[in-house]
Amino acid sequence: MAIAQPPATPRFAGSIRLAARQFPRHRAAMVGLVCLVLLCLAAAFAPLIAPFDPVQIKLSAKLRPPSLEHLLGTDHFGRDVFSRLLYGGRTSLSVGLLVVAFAFVLGVPLGLASGYFGGRTDNLLMRLVDAFLTFPPLLLAVALVGLLGPDIQNVMLALGVVQAPVLARMVRGSTLAVREEVYVTAARALGAGPGRIVVSHLLRNVVSPIVVQLTVVFAAAVVAEASLSFLGFGTQPPQPSWGRDMSEARRFLGDAPWMFLGPTGAIMLCVLSINFLGDGLRDALDPRAWRTRRTVAAEER
Amino acid sequence: MWHYLGRRLIQVPLVLLVVSLMTFLITRATPGDPVQIMLGMQTSQEAADAMRAEFNLDRPLPEQYFLWVAKVATGDLGRSIRLNDTVTSLLAERFPVSLQLALAAMLFALAVSIPLGVLAALRRNTWIDYLCTGYTVLGFAVPNFGLALILIYIFSIKLDWLPITGIGSMEAAAGGWWSYIAPFIVPAIALGTLQTAMLTRLLRSSMIDILSQDYIRTARAKGLLPATVVIVHALKNAMIPFVTMATVQFGYMIGIQVTIEYIFAVPGMGSAILNAVVTRDFPVIQGFTLVIAAFFLFANIMADLLYAVLDPRIRY
Repeated sequence: MAIAQPPATPRFAGSIRLAARQFPRHRAAMVGLVCLVLLCLAAAFAPLIAPFDPVQIKLSAKLRPPSLEHLLGTDHFGRDVFSRLLYGGRTSLSVGLLVVAFAFVLGVPLGLASGYFGGRTDNLLMRLVDAFLTFPPLLLAVALVGLLGPDIQNVMLALGVVQAPVLARMVRGSTLAVREEVYVTAARALGAGPGRIVVSHLLRNVVSPIVVQLTVVFAAAVVAEASLSFLGFGTQPPQPSWGRDMSEARRFLGDAPWMFLGPTGAIMLCVLSINFLGDGLRDALDPRAWRTRRTVAAEER
Repeated sequence: MWHYLGRRLIQVPLVLLVVSLMTFLITRATPGDPVQIMLGMQTSQEAADAMRAEFNLDRPLPEQYFLWVAKVATGDLGRSIRLNDTVTSLLAERFPVSLQLALAAMLFALAVSIPLGVLAALRRNTWIDYLCTGYTVLGFAVPNFGLALILIYIFSIKLDWLPITGIGSMEAAAGGWWSYIAPFIVPAIALGTLQTAMLTRLLRSSMIDILSQDYIRTARAKGLLPATVVIVHALKNAMIPFVTMATVQFGYMIGIQVTIEYIFAVPGMGSAILNAVVTRDFPVIQGFTLVIAAFFLFANIMADLLYAVLDPRIRY
């Protein structure tokens, strides 16, 4: 006797392949991706690219405007702004990536558990998340880093703690929606345990909103790290950092505008690329937004 | 609706209790002793002990927490360890300053986003729309302190039109209305630009959505003035999500001012917390975060209520 086939879980590898085919059609997203990769490469190979030592003080060359020798000018210690930007990018981008990883490891299991188990677990976890979300994120990060001590590890920790509840809330919402799908009931009827249901049925189907949210977390972390360093709670001098360098540039606003324009531009470029990438991923992962020949033709009409 | 309001208001003290426990734990679990920072290393043991006793810092942690909560329930937020003043009177100085800056920033956000969002929706795919998109994309990407530096450079240093500091100062308050308003302009723009971008984008997309509805076509077919259709029929409905989002964002604004206060030397809540964190002034940290959280919660409740008032279909 043939057993009736349960409704299939949407196939994962197949949908990734389809999404991968969609992504390059989003022009802004491709520009964002290329910029972000270039930024990462520039940061990773900073020692090879940077024309000067970022911490070498040379008072005879202080506050020089941009020139062929110093592409973005020099700061009040005669340090090359461009070289400092490259090295500063190492901090910003690695903090951003680690915060993404931390928020993922902390937020996703919490959200899945809350959404899957529901009831008292859900209530308890979500009230905790509520409490976290009543704090403005930057202020909570300032309090945490200020109290733990200004140090880059503490910055990562604080930003991860700040971002995780946002992710948890979102994962919970998506999980609640997916939990009621027929294929989950079918899997349960076939005897799948909670572990299998959570990992191979729920997680797989909430992965797209998570990926998109992670780009938001990444951008927020880059800005937050810069803000903390700007306030003096992040990277400590003389280490180069976009936020810290802007704080120093404040004293030379009128004389050396290139000192703050460099790091501001770097942060903006970084956040813009991440945002474009996120927009593209959102569209590529959402089948309803897929651009086929037919929809493109309809738009042009 | 009153029933709903009552239920929401009952939840406020509960969330605040969790918030207070969290701030308490964060301050106590981290290194740094406020008494040591206040008195320095050379101080005698007796003086330090006396000060610890004065602020209940010598008691066990659960007792410290309950003593504090019991006092807060009576409206007493305690005394600052660092400054010779009560937390309540510090709040009375700082809160109005932050509130004014938040209002100024929100005013800027509304003044820009409403016309820009409406125009972009009406003139889709024209230069106005592209300008609007460009503005929102950049507004999302620029950090507020970076924008603040750019604006200071242009308007205060190169053009010399606007002062950099002066919010909450005696001179600004004593002069005419311009000397009062002028110091707010640059910080308000720097602070409000992110919200402007969010609100413009929201308004544009909801206006586009609404303008394609049947009742708009009917209104136009009836021969109503285009302005009437746009303002009375479309904008009024597009305002529903807009007002909700603006209110929620306003609730956040007091707490996100910290970098702006730092740049413009604003004596507000953010800079007070910054100082309190550095000096481990526990009562100030606890009291101020509690007020910021409460403000945020009330703004959220307000947003829900406004939603129900503006949209008759919503029933709580």
